[in-house]
Amino acid sequence: MAEATATPRLLTGSRFGISKGLLTVLISTIALIVLSAVLAPSSVSQGAVLGMLPFAAVLAIVGLGQMLVVQQGGIDLSVPGSVSLAVVIVTHMPNENDAMLLPAVLVAFAWAIGAGLLNGFMVGRLGLNPIIATLGTNALLFGAVLGISGGIPRTTTNLLSEIAGGRTLGIPHAVLFALAFLALVTIMVKKTVVGRRFKAVGASPAAARATGLRYRTHQGAAYVWAQLLFASAGILLAGITNQPTAFQGNSYLLTSVAVVVLGGTSLLGGRGFPAATVVAALFLSQLDQFVLALGVPFAVRTLVQAAALAIGVAIYTVNWTALRQRFAPPSVAAAPATP
Amino acid sequence: MIHRKISAAIAAAGLTALVLTGCATDAGEEPTTPGEPVAGAPDWCGPEEAVVGLLDGFGGNSWRLVTTAAGADEVAKCPSVVEYLYADGQGDTQKSISDIQGMVASGADAIVVFPDAGEAMLPALRSAYEAGVVTVPYRVNPNGVDGEDYDIWVGADFVADGVAWGNWIQENFPDGANILFLSGPAGNSQGIDERTGFESVLTDPKYVFIGEQPYEVTNWDPALTQQVLTAAIARFDQIDVIVSDFGPSLVGALPEFENSGRSIPALVTSDGNVLSCFWEEKNASNPDFDLFTVATGNDNVRLAVQHAVARATGGVIPSETSFAAPVFEDSVSGSPNPVTCRDDLPGDIYLSAQMPADDQAALLQ
Repeated sequence: MAEATATPRLLTGSRFGISKGLLTVLISTIALIVLSAVLAPSSVSQGAVLGMLPFAAVLAIVGLGQMLVVQQGGIDLSVPGSVSLAVVIVTHMPNENDAMLLPAVLVAFAWAIGAGLLNGFMVGRLGLNPIIATLGTNALLFGAVLGISGGIPRTTTNLLSEIAGGRTLGIPHAVLFALAFLALVTIMVKKTVVGRRFKAVGASPAAARATGLRYRTHQGAAYVWAQLLFASAGILLAGITNQPTAFQGNSYLLTSVAVVVLGGTSLLGGRGFPAATVVAALFLSQLDQFVLALGVPFAVRTLVQAAALAIGVAIYTVNWTALRQRFAPPSVAAAPATP
Repeated sequence: MIHRKISAAIAAAGLTALVLTGCATDAGEEPTTPGEPVAGAPDWCGPEEAVVGLLDGFGGNSWRLVTTAAGADEVAKCPSVVEYLYADGQGDTQKSISDIQGMVASGADAIVVFPDAGEAMLPALRSAYEAGVVTVPYRVNPNGVDGEDYDIWVGADFVADGVAWGNWIQENFPDGANILFLSGPAGNSQGIDERTGFESVLTDPKYVFIGEQPYEVTNWDPALTQQVLTAAIARFDQIDVIVSDFGPSLVGALPEFENSGRSIPALVTSDGNVLSCFWEEKNASNPDFDLFTVATGNDNVRLAVQHAVARATGGVIPSETSFAAPVFEDSVSGSPNPVTCRDDLPGDIYLSAQMPADDQAALLQ
């Protein structure tokens, strides 16, 4: 725990601190872009970047939601169910009728609030293990996916396709949404009293409780905010893919946790790093694009992604100082061994 | 004492051989002489009463829904089928296996199985077959042997699809073409068979197969398809033809060509209403966008049902053993059909299926 809270050191040369996570992931992303430009120039061409950005944006929004929960020392494994449910609701309810889009979006958010409250109640109030509780919720959400759709996808409405998949001044709308959510989460977590308390509860629920903070409410609320972000990502994803499957959220389970960890947020809770999480989403998406552009076989593609994750996680979790000391050459005291 | 043991062993071996021979004869026997035909029913419908079950490995998409309804429609043509059962494995191999065991235990005379999990389903199929239930896996090959592990596998002829695509490419690109092939998960047999099909036609080196070989892996997932295609567009300056075995999943990805300032190239694939409507909307602004489709094959199940019902009721066993999807749309020649869009109906229906479009739309409500 001491290690976890000590990890995210800040470089505080200016008014705005840059976390170690943000610095690491920024440097990695820039290095990746340079590497892409040299080895696979097509992966940084305008078309490829514009094609990649909407998916990076969706991953970023999912990651922001996961970050809020991880910050509370929890984890939300109901990501696939909630993203898929949002996709299904906003494609099924309107059934290609633009006029029904807004009510469908509201229904999707209502479901998200319900799922978040359920997770929050089980974890925050009943004290269940978040892995078990949220996996259970995931199964329930997939039950709803099948109940609403029978597992059968529908085509996106034209309006949603334009909103989520369109561009303004050449910038994909999904990116604008991701930036807006980033700003919202950053201001909420970093600049408000509630955010400070939220952070305090995540760092040490016992200490927060001793100071009179309503720690259970804060822990539970994280799950509600997370679900709202997952649902938003699902709605965008439905618009971007045009004809999504009913299980479109499946690929976001591990990647959502990956971007949080790559962004430097400790899985043990405490501080969260929204900007670093978003940059990590960009990093992972560009890595996909880079490996695709290299034209390597599918097996190598998955290996590269796994290696990147392993290295990323190792940067934050391995105690490098202790490791250096262990393998350092023996000190002067060992020198007079011979007569 | 030793003599007595040897004699007993020989006797036991002889008895075992007799039993095994008897079993083999029973298992290999097929009702070759049909009974009295049932009035008003097709000849594959015999006079003996039977309970027939359809088992899906994964029932969760519109293609499966239409297919399941097509299976029920085919069964309904035979009055000798007294009961029709259905089970959905929900993509869970364990559930699919126990569904088979459950249906055998509940007294089904014949089962038609979509073995999505492939070879993993073989032991369950074999045990159903050995229990005396007519067992007909279809579409996905479980890699067993007809008459040993199940009665017959009624597969789709994906090589024939590939040949149809190859012929069209040869006809419309006589000077050669850069061809990008997209299929499902890595190693899936459908993609490999299709590739064999069109490669057997396009032997001239002027036809260049670009991208990952034997195909770009998309898992038939629209989001991954979009990412893969975006990367391919950036990588290859010239893509003349895209071959894909799941056309509708490309609808979200094809506008990437327009976003890159290029015309959507020719597309040879399987049909879907959403794809046809997309073509109608886009072909005027994309002069290279020709579309050629084969039927997506919902009616594969009909042939499998005919085989199962014929064996269970004593009807005439169909002579066809695999389903060849017919050519469906050709935007260039208009034959056998021009590209057909029903924009008044959902995108998730298949106009190539025997089931009328409006009935399919009603299923999706």
